[in-house]
Amino acid sequence: MPEKLTNGIKAPKTLPFEFVPQEAETAVLNNPHAKATTLVDDVLDAMEASFGTAVLERVVYAGERTVRISTDSLLEICTWLKETQGFTYLADLAGIDRFTEEDRYEVFYNLVNMTKGKRLRVVIRIDEESMTAPTLCDIFPAANWNEREAWDMFGLRFEGHPDLRRMFMPEDFEYHPLRKEFPLLGVPGSMALPPQVPTGELTQDPFPAAHGSKTPWSFEEVESEDDV
Amino acid sequence: MGQELPLQEGFLTTRVDAVVNWARSNSLMPMPMGLACCAIEMMAFAAPKYDVARFGSEAMRFSPRQADLMIVAGWVSYKMAHTIRRVWDQMADPKWCISMGACASSGGMHRCYGVVQGCDNFLPVDVYIPGCPPRPEAVIHALMDIQEKIRNQYSIEQDGIYGRDMPVVAANRPTIVTPDGEHAISPAGLYTQR
Ligand code: SF4
Repeated sequence: MPEKLTNGIKAPKTLPFEFVPQEAETAVLNNPHAKATTLVDDVLDAMEASFGTAVLERVVYAGERTVRISTDSLLEICTWLKETQGFTYLADLAGIDRFTEEDRYEVFYNLVNMTKGKRLRVVIRIDEESMTAPTLCDIFPAANWNEREAWDMFGLRFEGHPDLRRMFMPEDFEYHPLRKEFPLLGVPGSMALPPQVPTGELTQDPFPAAHGSKTPWSFEEVESEDDV
Repeated sequence: MGQELPLQEGFLTTRVDAVVNWARSNSLMPMPMGLACCAIEMMAFAAPKYDVARFGSEAMRFSPRQADLMIVAGWVSYKMAHTIRRVWDQMADPKWCISMGACASSGGMHRCYGVVQGCDNFLPVDVYIPGCPPRPEAVIHALMDIQEKIRNQYSIEQDGIYGRDMPVVAANRPTIVTPDGEHAISPAGLYTQR
């Protein structure tokens, strides 16, 4: 209850949102942020009926449905979701490093049914040994750049991708930086800084200022052969 | 009586440096190197409310050839660093650089593999502005610091001696006369003086 303060100004009301993970039904009823858009149990039941063991796990968290499927049947299930269930829009796709012994990497696919207004998250797990997943580019062209990002960040190869190049890091970068074992500040020498003077060499030290070097002012730059 | 005042004669005498530096410091054209959220504050700094036109710097120049003050506003990624250095190299002398915000000055909260930990690793920075983001007043203060630096440090003589040893130029500071003799005012003193 907002208390009356002495000067007559009401204390700010706290927002009425408290979320504790609960059982599926109560969570949807009690959680004001759970939306009907994520109620896709009928789709999941139908998926289990048609694909059986390929559906490995169904998770409900905060009223959102996530289904883990086997990597081999990804294409089949996604085609089925698109063509018979109307999930025509791939909203997002990315990799996750779970850092577990088995099935270390995860790829999630957020799918949207635009006509019914439903959302569904499909995930697959990928083992460190194989590091390959089938590409979704043929079904959802939107997967193209996101798969390139997952390749860039985690080194996951998407079989059949038309153009699997790095998305964000420089082309000659040798690492996959979002893996858990990658050092936070990067590998020294893996990416060069620009030269300290216009005609100089690239700077390989990533922290020259911290190591005492100071970039010269333009009027202090030494004359080079190009200037003559 | 009034005829003894120099302005009424239609001329005044001064040093070339003083005139040139006065002109330069009051017509700085910033190159807005807006890279992230700080760029929004940099726009506010040029917009009517804070009105940097009072300091002669309202004309942002998107061509490096026409700019003489680079404001690095935002975090610098390793990929972008090469572009920034190239733009900096294309700017004509004399030129100055402001590193705006925590990210441009030190990497800020982006302590990670993709972000250069401070743009002074590849640029000669004149003024650093703290803050995340700095308020437009802070950017104006940095601009005034640059103007102060131009008036006192830079000499037109330097333009002609590119790449060679620079003769030491006496600082062109205002002086005050105290009972012990004449004293130069330190730049810090200029702000606190009443
Ligand atoms: S200092 Fe803050 S406001 Fe400026 S670029 Fe960095 S995060 Fe954005």
